[in-house]
Amino acid sequence: MEAPRVPSKPLPQVTPWSAPFWEAAKRGELKVQKCRDCGKPFFYPRIACPHCFSEDLEWVRVSGRGKIYSFSVVLNYAPSAFAGDVPYVVAIVELEEGLRMLTNIVTDKPESLRCEMPVEVIFEPVSEDFVLPKFRPVEEA
Amino acid sequence: MSDLKGKVAIIGVGEVPTGKFPDRPCLESALRSARQAIGDAGIDKDLIDFLIPIGAVYSSAYNSDLVCSMIVEELGLKGVKGNAQVFSGGASCSTSLKTAAGLISAGIASVVLVVHSDKLGTGVSTQEGIDLFALAGISKEWEVPFGQHYSSIAGLVTTRYMFETGTTEEQVAAVVVSNRKWAELNPNAMIRKPTTVEEVLSSKVLSTPLHARESNVLADGGSAFIVTDAERAREWVEKPVYLLGDGSRVTHFCLSQEKDITRFGYREAAREAFGMAGLSPSDVDVAEVYDSYPVFEMIALEEMGFMERGESGAWFLEGRTWPGGDLPVTTNGGMLSQGHTGAGGGMALLVEAVRQLKGQAGERQVQGARFAVLTSTGGAYVDAHVEILGTEIP
Repeated sequence: MEAPRVPSKPLPQVTPWSAPFWEAAKRGELKVQKCRDCGKPFFYPRIACPHCFSEDLEWVRVSGRGKIYSFSVVLNYAPSAFAGDVPYVVAIVELEEGLRMLTNIVTDKPESLRCEMPVEVIFEPVSEDFVLPKFRPVEEA
Repeated sequence: MSDLKGKVAIIGVGEVPTGKFPDRPCLESALRSARQAIGDAGIDKDLIDFLIPIGAVYSSAYNSDLVCSMIVEELGLKGVKGNAQVFSGGASCSTSLKTAAGLISAGIASVVLVVHSDKLGTGVSTQEGIDLFALAGISKEWEVPFGQHYSSIAGLVTTRYMFETGTTEEQVAAVVVSNRKWAELNPNAMIRKPTTVEEVLSSKVLSTPLHARESNVLADGGSAFIVTDAERAREWVEKPVYLLGDGSRVTHFCLSQEKDITRFGYREAAREAFGMAGLSPSDVDVAEVYDSYPVFEMIALEEMGFMERGESGAWFLEGRTWPGGDLPVTTNGGMLSQGHTGAGGGMALLVEAVRQLKGQAGERQVQGARFAVLTSTGGAYVDAHVEILGTEIP
């Protein structure tokens, strides 16, 4: 009998202008773009500043500390590539710098998660080429 | 603000039953809905001079045929000058109505037929449906790799909404109960069996705090409507349904980039729409509010100003939104009961609003309904659309 086909994990579809983000993640660094004209940092990477439209951008490292804006523990009917991972936690984390990103919270106690809970970044390899920035509650560090 | 108030009207609607119909081709749902709409308007089919086929998501091959004027030929429409797809997911009802209104106001078209069908109930397997919606409109770089899909999107929004407003899980579940009360009265709805808060909350949790019974169900379906200018409408039909107000906002693509996932753009959209119509929420007789999951119906109602923030849960629980209540909401049963047909969920709400205003809603009829509000949104709730429809121009 054939084993059921489990699709491989969808890896990030990288653009030329976002590649530095993923290269930094492989080195264990969380980096975002910052506009040299208006001074604002932003996530996710763009070809031009979403605030003032300048193309004069630089990459800066951010603290990787933040808090949970919202979260959801996936228990049933996950996308097939993630069916073996349940329960897993999808969350929107707000970084200290005010930027929000979608991520996973890595924890053994998903029932203890709350909005506004402090979290910090960890880096989880998902393939030879990709490391995803995920987060864990600070109190579990 | 645009000067659209009362300039165009919907003169006919059509809809086939929503559900699982493996032997009904997707094309048949479109053609029968269109034919019904033409019959409802009571006009010669060859008066239609522009066709807007809304996108179908179950098959890209089928969709390509829609783009290439298949419906025009299948219906034998002889007077069509243009066929152009309008597609913005669940918001397609609103964006196609805006497009039709613009084409008519600019003199590019005079009678526009909008038609939609999809086959998400039986054209794809359950897992294919889940996987399709794990990709459609979700960033392949920033969200899909983390296992984001529509249940987790609804879970994220519901978690934060409950956190900020103190809304209880019983109140969230009550939206399903309310919509089901209406679906019981709707012969075109997929799920008509009465339900209770207890039953909803005892169903499996998909993605916390979202229960299986709080999720829409993918279905096959089709619907259509016809728009023309107000003058022709008055000449041709007894009760034109005028577009009185329209407002909208696109707020994000990635859910993480929406600045407030407990509000979205409904407040600004409603201010524009009610402002254009010269009406306020207290003038509305029936509210057809987009509901793919309960929380979105709650947020839209509150942000439009029908009640204070955090109060909608009590309204749903206490029956104020049910048949006989003081604010009938989502009177076809919505996607939580009528079924989710891709872009058709919003289309079905538009069809329902028109039926209510024309007095054609059967057992669901809200007596004397003159003004209706319609909301819609697409993808990961990327936009908020509000339309005010009415049988008179205030």
